[in-house]
Amino acid sequence: MKTIDKLNNSKIPVITFNKKLEQFREVVLFPEKLEKANEILSKVGIPENLKR
Amino acid sequence: MNKPKYLYKSEESFKVFEFTSEGSKGEIRKLVQFSETGTENVYNLAFGDFDENTQEINDFSVTNNGDSQKVLTTVASTVYAFIDKHPEAMIFATGSTNARTRLYRIGITNNLTEISKDFVVFGLMKNGNHWEHFTVGVEYEAFLISKKENI
Repeated sequence: MKTIDKLNNSKIPVITFNKKLEQFREVVLFPEKLEKANEILSKVGIPENLKR
Repeated sequence: MNKPKYLYKSEESFKVFEFTSEGSKGEIRKLVQFSETGTENVYNLAFGDFDENTQEINDFSVTNNGDSQKVLTTVASTVYAFIDKHPEAMIFATGSTNARTRLYRIGITNNLTEISKDFVVFGLMKNGNHWEHFTVGVEYEAFLISKKENI
């Protein structure tokens, strides 16, 4: 369990879960945005520094 | 990031987040999603208003709820949360309009010192043919963010 100091200094807030959000996990909510991302990535790829 | 942001909720994989924007237009539910792309470990970040009546997302709407900075800070916080859960992930983001992409660029610029402590940020040049390290003042078409350890 994190100490109070670690929690206070964390860049990530304490997150609560909503089980109802699981219905969206495998659904693409933004299909046009994803399509655009895939178009760009297939054309340009990722930066050389990030390739393994 | 200690700027004002909304509390948000997630599901267990941290790929979908929700929070409620509060402002002059009332309460508006917002959803954030990190979607797998066709490129390994690259996830597309998108967010928009969820219409409870139609059960649909709208990421083109201009909500004008007077809290755009708080919304962006909240979305940025979800990036931290997602990458904490998926440390090898690279986050791809672009706006649904040029104006939105510019807004994201401004947000990154205004928080670059903080972001750069943990992450490396790349911008896709406007001619769309190569990535470069994010540079203040340069217009980009899209952004890619990853933990510094992944370089």
